[in-house]
Amino acid sequence: MKFTKLVDKFEKLVKKHEKGVGIEVGKLTKLQQLLSDKRDRYQASLDTTEDAGKREKLETRLRVVNAQLEKSKKLPSAN
Amino acid sequence: MLKKILLPSILIILSYGFWVSPDFKEIAAGVSIFLFGMLFLEEGFKAFTGGVLEKLLQKTTDKTWKSLLFGVISTSIMQSSSLVSVITISFISAGLVSLVAGIGIIFGANIGTTTGAWLVAAFGLKVKISAYAMPMLVFGIVLSFQKSKYLKGAGAVLAGLGFLFLGIHYMKEGFEAFKDSFDLASLAVGGYPGLFLFAAIGAAATVVMQSSHATLVLILTALAASQITYENGLALAIGANVGTTITAIIGSLSANVQGKRLAGAHLIFNVVTGVIAIAFISQFVWAVDVVSDKVGIAADNYTMKLAVFHTLFNLTGVLVMVPLIQRLADYLVKSLPEKAKDLAEPLYLNDAAIEFPETVLKALKKEVWHLFDSAFEIMAHGINLHRTEILTSPDLKKTIDNDREVHEFDMDELYESKVKVLYSAIVDFISNSQAHMSSDFSEEMFRLRKAAGEIVECVKHIKHLRKNATKYMLSDNKHIRDEYNQLRYQIAMILREIYRLRGDEDIDHSIAILEMDELKAEIQSAHADLDVRVTGILRDDRITPIMATSLLNDFNYVDETSRHLLDTAQALLVSHTDLVAEAAQEVVLDEDEIEKASAA
Repeated sequence: MKFTKLVDKFEKLVKKHEKGVGIEVGKLTKLQQLLSDKRDRYQASLDTTEDAGKREKLETRLRVVNAQLEKSKKLPSAN
Repeated sequence: MLKKILLPSILIILSYGFWVSPDFKEIAAGVSIFLFGMLFLEEGFKAFTGGVLEKLLQKTTDKTWKSLLFGVISTSIMQSSSLVSVITISFISAGLVSLVAGIGIIFGANIGTTTGAWLVAAFGLKVKISAYAMPMLVFGIVLSFQKSKYLKGAGAVLAGLGFLFLGIHYMKEGFEAFKDSFDLASLAVGGYPGLFLFAAIGAAATVVMQSSHATLVLILTALAASQITYENGLALAIGANVGTTITAIIGSLSANVQGKRLAGAHLIFNVVTGVIAIAFISQFVWAVDVVSDKVGIAADNYTMKLAVFHTLFNLTGVLVMVPLIQRLADYLVKSLPEKAKDLAEPLYLNDAAIEFPETVLKALKKEVWHLFDSAFEIMAHGINLHRTEILTSPDLKKTIDNDREVHEFDMDELYESKVKVLYSAIVDFISNSQAHMSSDFSEEMFRLRKAAGEIVECVKHIKHLRKNATKYMLSDNKHIRDEYNQLRYQIAMILREIYRLRGDEDIDHSIAILEMDELKAEIQSAHADLDVRVTGILRDDRITPIMATSLLNDFNYVDETSRHLLDTAQALLVSHTDLVAEAAQEVVLDEDEIEKASAA
């Protein structure tokens, strides 16, 4: 192997190491778990709340968490 | 004055030396090449400090022995206590390492420097070192032309070592030849006068060369060529140790108080160690003989014995000073107090950190939070509230509805003195450190600069809001008063939430980052509600059209401020070391997604 090719290969390895290729599966799963727990909490509150103002706020928050969960499922993972 | 005389004097002495002796020229060239090698070596190691060294340093701060060990190992590897000192100062300044831990590292670095003497005495003077220097130089220079930061760094380290070896070779050759024409050993002075005289010469040589390592190598090569006596060599080594602190003190004159304290600790350590070494010189000589005998060093191998002596007296210094480390830190804090800083002065930005990306980012993030704190105070007063009311009021809405106190202050002046100054310092620091950053770090730095810019925007928006908010807060018209109080509440509530999420250690940062999206969606809903409400009260003649247009205009300022505040908090809560929080950053919703989620 030529020296320049060796250097190129080394550089590619270094870049790969520096950038990473995606989010680690473990980290993504943890994040999704945290979001699911939160969604369940909001849902439980919504089921027991009658105040219209509070319900409206909870519904908004629930929609945000759902959207975040959806988005997290579309993210590329590292492994 | 001294500086003005010193440089010409040195140049004249050197020129005279070159004129009368070609051998002196060779020795001086050897020292110069050696020092050049040290510079290369430092530059090379800096390429690898973008993370590993800093992470290691942070993990070695909880116990004194770990700090010591870090100082020993890092200095042994890099052969530069000054590089370790600079990193330590930048860490203390950024608030990442305590002064006690920093002092521990400096003590350890003193032991670490002694490994240089061992290497030179054991190998440098025995083998034909120049034979290794040449290929190292060639490989080093070839690698340093490469694009990759790490290859460049490795090249600089290799070339640095090559130059060090070459320097030692020239010093050795020079002294060997010098011996034939002039016997320096004939100038030897015995007893305590000799001890003090040569210690002073050693200190002076180190101040001139700015490196105790170079002095020590010079002493070793001179000793190997029998140009100085063993006793005088010991005194020179003690002097070199004291001399290195003078270099550190000169360097710390322009440093901040943390740098001065660390230089103070270095000075006290080396002076105490030097005094101990001089006071107990005969005991040390005896101990060196005993140790040398045990490890198989010949009785007449003075270069190795000097290395043993160098290690022994630095070890003794550490053993004496480590139990006093806390007291030393307390004394330094007391004798070098930190000036009561104005809120507007940057607290964490230190030029010494500029070459260390990890430290730069940490210091920068703390400084942007500092800017946030300053802006918070102005924004709170801008909407006629106290910080404490926002942070601690059990019912924020009620507090705002009932509080009609106008806060009289010059918002422009406060903006100039507390926000603009800090923002300028942040921008300046970023532009200075950008050259040393890899693309990954640059990205985060860009995010932090954007966050700082958004904070400034927030203060400007609040300035625009303030006039009407104050006017209508005092209005007899309940409808317009309620609407403006609602705007004040929105700003106060967001500030309060950000501080809650920032300060609560039980809340996962990733969740905190994503919770900002929920607030954004709530604001979006509030925006839609406001439009409907304003149209209604205007139609019913409860507010005038002028009031309505003011309200809609000001709502835009509040809307923008709220988004900026939340975006800023999201950027500041991300940490590239917290991978879940980093992943959360990818899940943060964009404007369209927020709008969609906020629509019922």
